[in-house]
Amino acid sequence: MKSFARYLWGSVLGLLAAAPAFADLKVATSLTDLASVAQFVGGKHVSALSLCRGYEDPHFVPAKPSLMKAIQHANVFVSTGLELDGGWLPLVLPGSRNPGIQQGTKGFVDASEGVNVLEKPVGTVNRAEGDIHPLGNPHYYADPKDLEVVAHQLADVFSRLDPANAADYAANAKAFDEKMDASLEKWEQQLAPYKGSSIVTYHKNFDYFADRFGLKLFGTVEPKPGIPPSPRHITELAAAMKQAGVKVVLYQPYYSADASNELAKRAGGTAVEVATEVGGLPGTDDVFSKFDVLVNSVAGALAGK
Amino acid sequence: MRLRTSACLFAALVCAPALAGAQTRSMFSNLANPALGMNALFTGTAARTLDQPYGLGFDEAEISLISVVDPYWTFVSNIVFVGDGSVDPEEVWVRSTNIPGIQIKLGKIRGTFGKHGLLHTHAFPFIQGPIIMENSIGGEGFKDPGVEAAWLTPLPWFAEVTGGVYQAIAADADHPLDFGSSRHDNVPFLGHLKNQLDLNNATTLELGQSILQGRGSDGFPHSAYGADVTIRNVPPRNSNRRGWILQSEYLQKGSRIDGSYVREQDGGYASFQYRLSQVWWMGVRGEQARQSFTDFLVDDTGAPVPGKVNRVCANIAWTPSEFSFIRVEYSHAQADAGNGLRPNDDRIMIQMSYTIGYHPAHAY
Repeated sequence: MKSFARYLWGSVLGLLAAAPAFADLKVATSLTDLASVAQFVGGKHVSALSLCRGYEDPHFVPAKPSLMKAIQHANVFVSTGLELDGGWLPLVLPGSRNPGIQQGTKGFVDASEGVNVLEKPVGTVNRAEGDIHPLGNPHYYADPKDLEVVAHQLADVFSRLDPANAADYAANAKAFDEKMDASLEKWEQQLAPYKGSSIVTYHKNFDYFADRFGLKLFGTVEPKPGIPPSPRHITELAAAMKQAGVKVVLYQPYYSADASNELAKRAGGTAVEVATEVGGLPGTDDVFSKFDVLVNSVAGALAGK
Repeated sequence: MRLRTSACLFAALVCAPALAGAQTRSMFSNLANPALGMNALFTGTAARTLDQPYGLGFDEAEISLISVVDPYWTFVSNIVFVGDGSVDPEEVWVRSTNIPGIQIKLGKIRGTFGKHGLLHTHAFPFIQGPIIMENSIGGEGFKDPGVEAAWLTPLPWFAEVTGGVYQAIAADADHPLDFGSSRHDNVPFLGHLKNQLDLNNATTLELGQSILQGRGSDGFPHSAYGADVTIRNVPPRNSNRRGWILQSEYLQKGSRIDGSYVREQDGGYASFQYRLSQVWWMGVRGEQARQSFTDFLVDDTGAPVPGKVNRVCANIAWTPSEFSFIRVEYSHAQADAGNGLRPNDDRIMIQMSYTIGYHPAHAY
């Protein structure tokens, strides 16, 4: 009996020790874009999931207990960083009871590290300016080149956690660069005729996209970040757009279509629903198709189609 | 001697630029300072049944400090400056998530009992907390020194089992439960089970059961029991503009004297909150508390007497940003003390909340 118990314990401990050797690296992310990059870089060795869906406002993800459950056994957590997930991640991460992915551990990744952050506040941060992000604009995933930075960071992290497949991760990150650079050339050509054109966006989450493709941001439907538009703001912005000849208003699926359409109508322009996050609209299943659809939509709107 | 002086002079000249540079920085780094936030809450009440002038009152100002202590602990504290001038270290605890599947909290904690009892005052869905709260575990929940461990079970949905032990404290204004026995084996304990399921991608169902028990000043076991159910809807495409919460909770307080259980107070509430837009919320609540005390149920001398209290209230809140709100609430209550004393109460309240700095997100 004693030897049977010893055998049983030995088997259980052996199984537990062997488990990581044949398990995939489970990666969870704040954003769908990060999950898409993680899946590309990780390939067959990784299974990636995003807690925020592409059609969900990444600022206001409900910190549901089911999200904690979803990452209980994750090996890596990839945060957007720059406090974009600061409203919900501080609840979800400790709630997962997963010591391996808490901030400061090997399994926690701040994807914004290495990204050239735009709109870093200078001096003190004042909420009279709205719900601004004190560490800078966190919507860097709207620039294809910034996703290359993320890809290489993830390849390094995956390699450290799973050294046996390090060569695959490095090769995949390189392949990601090549595919993204080739795609970027195509997108730049598509938007080249509209360089210098002005657009209005609902929120300040097109800054990186505009910076990359040479567009100008004329204003936002929100008077200040996180503050809903008032009728007066819509009236004033519409008048300014009319005077300046700005015709295009862009908004994401999680923002009010009514306010954007009203603004566009008053300005004599058009409001277009676009996805800046993977999965935000049909056909945006990964970061490449997301930019395909986004660039097509923006180019079409600026062409007046 | 001259050589030593020259050497010192030379050393001073060599070091001078470094010292000058160092003077521009403090020798005390503030980079590891905790995240700091503050919330202030003001309430105005107009009720003919209360012996107090109408006007705006200062409820409390809560200072929150949160920081990582070391690789093993995170420190959380909420120090409350109450309107009467007193200071209440409402929560001062450390948390560890170093054991897989288990979260440990140690210190003066808000015990994981029920649903409403986990909320800070400024996060109450209605200005007035349920009457049964004040009569069972405390108006702002059960907040005593102790240690809690919460295990996230391996079940496929979120199923959490929490156990805790606390310092024994006798009944007072903040502690309706009497855990005042001086016996060495008087270690009040808590048990909590929470199950949360996603019904679809917008709606969740949460079920909770709680028990809290210790030994009272009379030497007998005193206990509180709770059960709660919450259905919450947050449409993913409108998570910041739409949604609703349907919630109900039942609480009971009692004691076991000479082997037979005596139910002392019990009651519950059912509430519905609806989000009209990004900045507007409204809510309605109905509740009943039996054998309970409340501020307008008093005898001829002004002394509070227990009775059955029914109350309905409705409110509307304007939240122009995540950091402030103004809400107005109307409530109508009827009480029956069973001795012919059957007062009614109507009151209108207004409340303002303002938050600065870092404030941790409230639980879902």
